[in-house]
Amino acid sequence: MIGQLYIEGDLRVGGVVEGEVEVTGDVEIDDMAKVKASLAGRDVNIRGHVNGAVVARKRLIVGRSGSLFGDVRVERLVIQDGATFSGQVSMGPGASKAAPPKPVEAPAPAPPALQPELEAKVVVPAEKPAPPIVAAPAPPAPVAELRVASKDGKGRPGAAPIKSQPDKKPIKSQPDKNKKKRR
Amino acid sequence: METQEAVAESTPMETDGQSDSKRDGQQKFTLGPNDSLEGKLTYGGHMTVNGGHAEGEFRIGGNIEIGNGSVVKALLEASNVTIKGEVEGKLTARDKLTLGKQAKMNGDVQVRRLQIEDGASLNGYVRMGDFEQQAPGS
Repeated sequence: MIGQLYIEGDLRVGGVVEGEVEVTGDVEIDDMAKVKASLAGRDVNIRGHVNGAVVARKRLIVGRSGSLFGDVRVERLVIQDGATFSGQVSMGPGASKAAPPKPVEAPAPAPPALQPELEAKVVVPAEKPAPPIVAAPAPPAPVAELRVASKDGKGRPGAAPIKSQPDKKPIKSQPDKNKKKRR
Repeated sequence: METQEAVAESTPMETDGQSDSKRDGQQKFTLGPNDSLEGKLTYGGHMTVNGGHAEGEFRIGGNIEIGNGSVVKALLEASNVTIKGEVEGKLTARDKLTLGKQAKMNGDVQVRRLQIEDGASLNGYVRMGDFEQQAPGS
């Protein structure tokens, strides 16, 4: 898939992703996956190929088959022997909160009613009849991924850029407060 | 030949047995808990900092091991580097860098292989892959 992806829940990537991925839960990048995107999540587990900045609010793990090129902001970092990694590392409590690499602006608050549909796990399957050559160039993106792209990338244009927690009251609730104050 | 002196000075009497112990044909040099080393050291063997304090520039032909509770502020270069203590400075590992659970590393890192255990802390730029090899002391 290509584009912006915001998910409340966990994400597992088995195919090709380009753009920007933000997940409130955990992110897992499978062995065969190729990701050219900025990633943000709680626990991020990379076993495939990632090119882009990564923010892990909790822990980033780069497995022995994983490779990561990009700057990293994490609270905890594990790199297994055999993994490839290049980039700036900022680490420690709060490092991931200091400057989230979200170029997303326009804080249009979406009504919480829209969110439940996205809470399901989105699994992007790698349905490619690709030979088991890891170093092969990116195979054509499976149809399933494109569907995911249109569903999540474009289906929620208003909700995608939210970065604030759902418990922050949207504008909708402000009139109520005002009323209360007046009374 | 200052480097030779540095070795002699900071090799304490009580660790005499350890300091010259041969391991895979290379000499080993150990800094104990009460030892400190300041300056520039070029050494062909292995170096171990075991609770001591070291500051300066160390170019080691063999491996460096920085144990728990050690504080090292230095430009480090060695084949294999294992860090379990605190390190500040630029680090080059011609082969592998290992950061243990308690390790704290502050500085840019150039390595061929990298392993970071959970709990370790690293702040700096990591560069990985093959690079120009500068064998120390040769």
